[in-house]
Amino acid sequence: MTASAAPRRVVVTGLGFISPIGNDRATVSASLREGRHGLAPVEFLGNPRIPVRLAGTVKDFAVESPNCRDWTWPARYLIPRETLRGLAPHGVFALCAIEQALADAGLTPAAVAGDPATGLFCASAGSAMLLHHHLTQLRAAAGERGNPMGVVSSISGTLNFNLGAHFRITGAVCGFVSACASSSHALGYACDEIRLGRLRRVLVVGAEEPNADTLLPFAAMRALSTRSEPALASCPFDAARNGFVGAGGAVALVLEDAATAAARGAPLLAEFAGWGQSADGHSIAMSHPDGAGLRLAMQRALADAGAAPSEIDYVNAHATSTPVGDRAEALALQAVFTAAGAHPRISSTKGLTGHPLSMAGAMEAAFCALALAEGFTPGNAHLRTPDPVCAGLDLPQATLALAPRLVLSNSSGFGGSNVCLVLRRSAG
Amino acid sequence: MPPPSNLPSPLLRFPAEVRTAYERFCATGDPAALEIVVQAAVRDFMPRGGTADHDQPLQADLRLVDDLGFDSLALAETVFFFEDLFKVSIDNRDLLGLRTIGELQGFIARRNNEERPPA
Repeated sequence: MTASAAPRRVVVTGLGFISPIGNDRATVSASLREGRHGLAPVEFLGNPRIPVRLAGTVKDFAVESPNCRDWTWPARYLIPRETLRGLAPHGVFALCAIEQALADAGLTPAAVAGDPATGLFCASAGSAMLLHHHLTQLRAAAGERGNPMGVVSSISGTLNFNLGAHFRITGAVCGFVSACASSSHALGYACDEIRLGRLRRVLVVGAEEPNADTLLPFAAMRALSTRSEPALASCPFDAARNGFVGAGGAVALVLEDAATAAARGAPLLAEFAGWGQSADGHSIAMSHPDGAGLRLAMQRALADAGAAPSEIDYVNAHATSTPVGDRAEALALQAVFTAAGAHPRISSTKGLTGHPLSMAGAMEAAFCALALAEGFTPGNAHLRTPDPVCAGLDLPQATLALAPRLVLSNSSGFGGSNVCLVLRRSAG
Repeated sequence: MPPPSNLPSPLLRFPAEVRTAYERFCATGDPAALEIVVQAAVRDFMPRGGTADHDQPLQADLRLVDDLGFDSLALAETVFFFEDLFKVSIDNRDLLGLRTIGELQGFIARRNNEERPPA
């Protein structure tokens, strides 16, 4: 094989967080190490009878209003009115997360603007709140007039439309909609674009709004925890779990071709070693009862990374604290690891963050990159009594001062989409 | 007068003198009151980088696109603001005649007079 034909390696060079457990990398890292959760009391629609007591909220931003004139955000982010007018609330989070990630990667917005080798891949469910508002306004006018920003600020491509224009991205702009696997899909395909030589750098962002319009429909599915005590409400893999706690925010990663990153002396947080996906072919919303799809996605991710199960030191599980989903993932983990005699440490960081839907994959891949770069293994903060179905799985309660070398991050979404990512400690 | 609506007024976040001027225009058709509202709204939607002096009143002959830097989205946003505020529809044919601040103000005044019940 000639040097030019050698497979391109992909590295993570920057991270940005607007998350329930912190709005910068240092705070997020401290929260993961110390087990500090980001769940806060909520009362949606001013109705105390709604049995949803908590959410993984975003701090230091006020974007609850449908009118962007009312919004406030940390002063260090400059958002011009020309950008703000088309953004959804989670677009504000995403813009700030990307600015952070670029700075973390040693890049400036000017460095990526107009660069045909830089792409932007986004994941969100759109803004249910703004869509509702704009349609209410349209209907109040008997359909005769509506806000011209109604479409671009609310439908599920809102991040791509707005952030692609704001950051002047010219390489590629794309959105991913596979529910809670969306931003993992974005990362996987970003990795492939770089491997194929089509792009040298991709900004990947996942974002969601932790508000009534986004989260309450999950209560209608009976998927949300009804508890008001954070440690009891979001407790993945625990025998007493009874649903997830919804969350929001935005997390951004900068993925780069390793040679490009090395040439500019970029920080190498982790290598993106491979990924795999599969589909359950089973249900609109429920996981396959045996975790068959997730098992296949993990096996494909390991094969893509050229790794044996025994080489994985840590798995960041998708487990959201729902009875059915966590059980399916536990069975899939046993099939891939326990059956092969492998015993990686496994945790779901959603105990601390809640479940931020399509943003989960990007957030947890970023947590994995932090764990690899800084040398710790996140624990299961709210796990007290593991469900017996987890027998044989190594589920540490506290974060461990153990530096993993190879980690796996799982995501699963509605319709049975499963995506697994493998990240390796950077040699750089 | 615009019909009552359960939705908040588009002027909710504007200064009290602008809201008062709007009420005065709706009640009396006073063009000076309308000018206050139009000036405030155009200034609010005006993109950065235009040639207007932000400390001075906007002259009636200033062109929204050529002088003030409005792009088509900002123009659409401004037009919708006035449609929503005065409960009128501004169609694409009308839009072609609304190049300056003065033309915009004149259009709203005429449309308002057309819809005002005879004394």
